[in-house]
Amino acid sequence: MEVPGGLLTGEPVRTHGKRVLMAKTSLDGHWRGINVVSRALRDAGYEVILAGMINADTIARVAGDEDVDLIGLNVGGRVEVVERILDTLASEAITVPVFAGGTIPHYAADRLAARGVECFPPGSTLEAIVEAADRLTAADPAASDHTP
Amino acid sequence: MTSSEASGSSEVTTVSGIPLKVSYGPNDVPETAAQAAAVLPGEAPYLRGAHAQGYRSKPWRIFQLSGFGNPEDEAERIRYLLSKGGTGFIMEHDRMTGDHLYDVDHPEVVARREDVGISGAVILSARDFELALTGIDQSKYFAHPGGGVSQHAAFALAGYWTVAERRGLELHKLNGTGQADFFLTYIGCPPLTQIPPAAALRVNCDIVEYAAKVAPKWTPISMAAYNGADSGLNAYQELAALFACCVSHLDEIVARGNVPVEQVAYALGGVSFRVAMDFFEDICKLRVARKMWHRLLTTRYGITDPRALSLRIHIVTAGSAMTYQEPINNIVRGTVMGMAAVLGGVQSIGVSAYDEALSVPSEQAHRQSLRVQQILMHETNIPAVVDPLGGSYFIESLSAELEERAWAEFDRILDNGGFIQSLEDGSLHRMAGENAVAFQDSITSGDRKIVGVNLGDSDGDPFGIDGFEGSLDAFERGMARLKDLRASRDGRHVSRALDRLANTMRSGGNVMSGVMDAVRADASIGEVGDVYREVFGSWKFPVDF
Repeated sequence: MEVPGGLLTGEPVRTHGKRVLMAKTSLDGHWRGINVVSRALRDAGYEVILAGMINADTIARVAGDEDVDLIGLNVGGRVEVVERILDTLASEAITVPVFAGGTIPHYAADRLAARGVECFPPGSTLEAIVEAADRLTAADPAASDHTP
Repeated sequence: MTSSEASGSSEVTTVSGIPLKVSYGPNDVPETAAQAAAVLPGEAPYLRGAHAQGYRSKPWRIFQLSGFGNPEDEAERIRYLLSKGGTGFIMEHDRMTGDHLYDVDHPEVVARREDVGISGAVILSARDFELALTGIDQSKYFAHPGGGVSQHAAFALAGYWTVAERRGLELHKLNGTGQADFFLTYIGCPPLTQIPPAAALRVNCDIVEYAAKVAPKWTPISMAAYNGADSGLNAYQELAALFACCVSHLDEIVARGNVPVEQVAYALGGVSFRVAMDFFEDICKLRVARKMWHRLLTTRYGITDPRALSLRIHIVTAGSAMTYQEPINNIVRGTVMGMAAVLGGVQSIGVSAYDEALSVPSEQAHRQSLRVQQILMHETNIPAVVDPLGGSYFIESLSAELEERAWAEFDRILDNGGFIQSLEDGSLHRMAGENAVAFQDSITSGDRKIVGVNLGDSDGDPFGIDGFEGSLDAFERGMARLKDLRASRDGRHVSRALDRLANTMRSGGNVMSGVMDAVRADASIGEVGDVYREVFGSWKFPVDF
């Protein structure tokens, strides 16, 4: 599997077969947050595709090609860029749930919440993030397609 | 500091995992550490300070990052901070165009156009540098013209120096610092594409050699371990990695033999560390850094020049320590971290603003972070005595323990093939990543308490502070400037300069000299970047955890 950015995490210790695509919305930013969250998701059994700085079109393509169950967006920029990603996913008929973390001001979190995107600002616990991932993928009917 | 009082145990450690006793006495200080502590500040091995008179002879530099939006916005914010008491300035560039060496019309930038300018000003050419420096006297202030990421460094220096030339200033009189920092580029904030570390090392040494000739007062490159630490490297790993990185540069300079190593060691001996919330450990780290630098230069390179041997340190307080919840509490965190920097005897400080976890600083938050420094400097009497904690049983014991661990880690990095190899094989990334995960786990478990985050039942934002929006027209205006630039300059002159730059890169000539010529000819950042990408290619970030 060749993902733009070329970044893959190691294999999960145990897997429940669900896949999450982790992407940075911006070309700006530190990697600590997305690395730590990716690791927590992997430890919770997810196959993590850590794709990093891929743009909206590529996010949609990878999400489709890799048949992911969840998309995690690390936001380091403006909410309009995140909204463009959501628009692109919608136009490609990709209905995978999306959640987001990063430096998200309150007004931006409100706008994303209106589009069904749950936000995890700095200080969110990994427990809460993994719990949300489990909840969002449980609600995703596609999730059972490749459960081993 | 973590405490597991809840579990009934009384074990307490520093963030780096060094066990802390309840109290310390003379038996806790090793003999060699006691000897070093008995030496006054300003004398080798400089444990207790780089200068005998400390802040009485020279106050620390109030050196804040600033920049967002358009070049004009950056000029306005820099002038504002200088008018409020800043004593130098750090130009923060838009990272999409700056870090990546992309023009604003690059497809990857256009794909995220609203982000342009959000965390730095869009500076695409020497002309944009002129706009960003409007009303700022380059002969008066110590400047950091940007270029934190390695591949951006030569362009940023060239832009700043070209503006100085156009203003009739002599480069050899200018004061300032470059960065070209491997920790930012390859660990903390790797851009989408970046030149490989070996190429960056070559360019860095070219910058050093060029500056030695034309701008000898300038600190041409400066390693900022901050970005390794904020990615997770602990205190002794931060020390070890920083000095291993300096060794990779100094060894290359010695191998080239073009500039005396003393001169380069002096230039490289302006470094940057992070101070976070483990107060005493961070103070000890700064003291130990000076002692290690002295030992490294004397034993490895035989350097005797005291100017080179006494390390100068810039501190940035930890952005990651600033909470999103109840952001006004971050004023206290900035104060505590700033105080640790002062007690550690550093030369230069930038305090993160209280809205750090939300956005780039608002004008008010920016001014407040500068006020923290002024209060420490003028109201507290803390700077009156050099190394006031020196000789404390605890401080000397912890300093000695940190130093021992730092040298062990340093030896491990060198045994692994050196700093560049440890970047290439991802071992530094794994080290940082493991600590970052462990740190987060300790917050999740409640072992580590962060007020407003997992202690104090915060409701998120009781103080009504939200992110600073910045300028919303940075993309459009950047596009307009780029169009104007391309239409109004001598295109053939630019093409020739870019061809020469490519040839210089391929033939092993001085890259800084070639970038300087291209920038003088009004080449754009993306055009210079295309040459870098063509000649050097791109490095693959070794995420593997």
